[in-house]
Amino acid sequence: MANPFYDVVVIGSGAGGGTAVHVLTAKGIQCALLEAGPMLDPAKEYKEHKWPHDYDHRGAEEGGKSYFGEGKPFGFFSTTSGGWQLDGEPYTVAPGSQFQWFRSRIIGGRTNHYGRMSFRFADYDFKPYDRDGLGTNWPISYEDISPYYDKAEEFIGVVGSMEGIRSAPDGKFHTPPPAKVHEMLIKKSCDKLGIPCIPNRRAVITKSINGRAACHFCGQCGRGCMTASNYASSQVQVFPAMKTGKLKVYDMAMVREVAVDGNGKVNGVIYVDKRTRKEMRIDCRVCIVAASACESARILLNSKSSAFPNGLANGSGLVGRYLMDTVGFGLSGYVPALEGMPHYDTDGAGGAHLYMPWWLWDKHEKLDFPRGYHIEIGGGYGLPGVGSYHGQARRFGYGAEMKKEIRKGYGAGVGFAGRGEMIPNEHSYMEIDPGVVDQWGIPVARFHFKWTDYEWKQARHMERVFAEIIEGMGGRVTGLSAAQREADGISIPGTIIHEVGTARMGTNAKNSVLNGYGQAHDAKNLFVMDGASFVSNPDKNPTLTINALAWRGCDYLAEEMRKGNV
Amino acid sequence: MFNDPNRREIIRALALGLTAAGVMDADAAQHVHAATGAEKAKGPYKVKAFQPHEYQTIARLAEIIVPKDDISGSAVDAGAPEFIDTLSSQNERLAGIFHGGLAWLDAEMRQRYGKRFVEASPQQQTRMLDVLVAAEKEEAARRSEELVYRRSNDYRQFSNYTVKRPSPLGPGITFFDWVRKMSVDAFYTSPTGIKDLDYRGNRGMSKYVVPQEAIDWAMKRSPFA
Repeated sequence: MANPFYDVVVIGSGAGGGTAVHVLTAKGIQCALLEAGPMLDPAKEYKEHKWPHDYDHRGAEEGGKSYFGEGKPFGFFSTTSGGWQLDGEPYTVAPGSQFQWFRSRIIGGRTNHYGRMSFRFADYDFKPYDRDGLGTNWPISYEDISPYYDKAEEFIGVVGSMEGIRSAPDGKFHTPPPAKVHEMLIKKSCDKLGIPCIPNRRAVITKSINGRAACHFCGQCGRGCMTASNYASSQVQVFPAMKTGKLKVYDMAMVREVAVDGNGKVNGVIYVDKRTRKEMRIDCRVCIVAASACESARILLNSKSSAFPNGLANGSGLVGRYLMDTVGFGLSGYVPALEGMPHYDTDGAGGAHLYMPWWLWDKHEKLDFPRGYHIEIGGGYGLPGVGSYHGQARRFGYGAEMKKEIRKGYGAGVGFAGRGEMIPNEHSYMEIDPGVVDQWGIPVARFHFKWTDYEWKQARHMERVFAEIIEGMGGRVTGLSAAQREADGISIPGTIIHEVGTARMGTNAKNSVLNGYGQAHDAKNLFVMDGASFVSNPDKNPTLTINALAWRGCDYLAEEMRKGNV
Repeated sequence: MFNDPNRREIIRALALGLTAAGVMDADAAQHVHAATGAEKAKGPYKVKAFQPHEYQTIARLAEIIVPKDDISGSAVDAGAPEFIDTLSSQNERLAGIFHGGLAWLDAEMRQRYGKRFVEASPQQQTRMLDVLVAAEKEEAARRSEELVYRRSNDYRQFSNYTVKRPSPLGPGITFFDWVRKMSVDAFYTSPTGIKDLDYRGNRGMSKYVVPQEAIDWAMKRSPFA
């Protein structure tokens, strides 16, 4: 029997793959979408609006798995997404390195669970080398991507406000929800420190678009939204694309390699059907790899042929190199002014309603680290869950006094998380482990990673600033001691789940893997449309830029197909 | 529950409504929240993982850890013993922590007061827990010191440095932390606990409003007054 044939095969159904099938099917192009996990069924799987006491285990999962760190990574109620370790699909970490790799195996990938922060890169973010001599410039500029930020924002829906701040370019926004009380105090404290504190920009809609209902403010985006009032590529892009009749979804399809003909032209994709363990093949005119930065690099490196002995599109030797994550640091505080406040529903639109974009972009001469970070906020009267009060219980012992203190402190805590830019370095990369395969027989990824002083110093800056904000609102820093933070104060690489950079774009086939459209220099009918193409990892969470780049790449691809160039 | 036909129907109706009209109104959203929040009716509980004496001890501990006060009931009222028993019946490792911990506690009580925990006076019971809490705090301080020291340059230079010795009450500290955290979880995730804390959310609404009286309360007490 002949292999199925499609104009375009897309590997991966997250932000990049979801955008690709949405844009391409709308242009009438026949696509196949391969996903290594199962189809998602929101009506069956989402636990939106459930209470912990609806379950005998209250959310601790069967046998109290969550107490042993063996529960779902974001809690029982979180939507189906993936994990740090997947049965039968290992990865390895080189001695002396630390790295944790979060992988999703489900239609929609990590967009099902992500924080939905949707920040545009600033103009200067595309030319980092020109500013401080570190890293590399992107081959594209803000002007190139700006129309696609517009399209992406208008389609997925993002709340926000017009602010005119250079580090955080304005976009096409839905009306943002009002600030909560603790956020108002934080803003006042930031005002004193000269830090802008503005309405958050999250992929949530506050008016109905494309058959999706406006947000109903239950704050449970992470559980999956029954009304698709937030962006997940599954509900917002893949399901509608399936309805066009132009898209065939192959789920449980674990890609082994992208195949090429004798001339080095991509002509198909070879995958293992996880249900039958059979090796299958789909033929195609064009292949888009969007399996997440490290999974995409793994596929390319495993796609060896006589034309590409070091892996597909790896003539530069840069596939897997310049792996970056985001610098993370968090600090919590206790604010007496919030004690005893009349309670109200702080669930809101999910996540914080305000945030602080980077504010010192023109003051680098006064800093001991390059680039910058933004600040995310936590606080409010959260839904009590398993684990919510362990810390306070330890602090207050037990009994009537503990109960009183937990009641008093409920809603009086605030949290700050810094999300900062890492400088790409040669010690941080992934490669194929020569000695290990997964249960599908596919060689696995091996990680090398190192934070440098740039990142450590940035995290110390975050620590000082967060403490100033907390103290400025009459609060006190809680949690770890200063000495503990000093010893342990930066996120474990990979854990912010912003890994990018493993097949970067650039101006030529020597300094990069892809051109500015995500097209491989070495194979014209191969595109990479996930975070792998990133040249730098600005402090803006990557998803919106993945959406915009994929959209731009697909417009270009469709035009090249029309002209007969690919 | 997923299998609750009522909830399934509501969700299906919602999904259909969404496709047809494109908008779910706030009333419909509220309806789902209300329907899914309904409590299940329960018959008398049958203990699965513990001997009657063990279960009695767990219940007494839960009652001391989160006692009844003038605002709400105790962890026992909120189902903590059932919660601990159910999960332990599904997980031998967890059951083992409780079997061993309960036996340790009784042995320690016998040594101190000549009685098992449940037979001791309330004063003796709380005295025992006070000793464990104090030991836990010391232990936490010791570990923190060790963590910081291990990361410091001193540690690299003087590998023979030793910090304080671990507490002899280690098994009791560990066990008490388990029974406490599970009692606290059972309490605060119950309808009683949610009401105790006065959590107002997990519902849908068409417009999100922050009440002025809350804003005024916090501002008046803040440095920005």
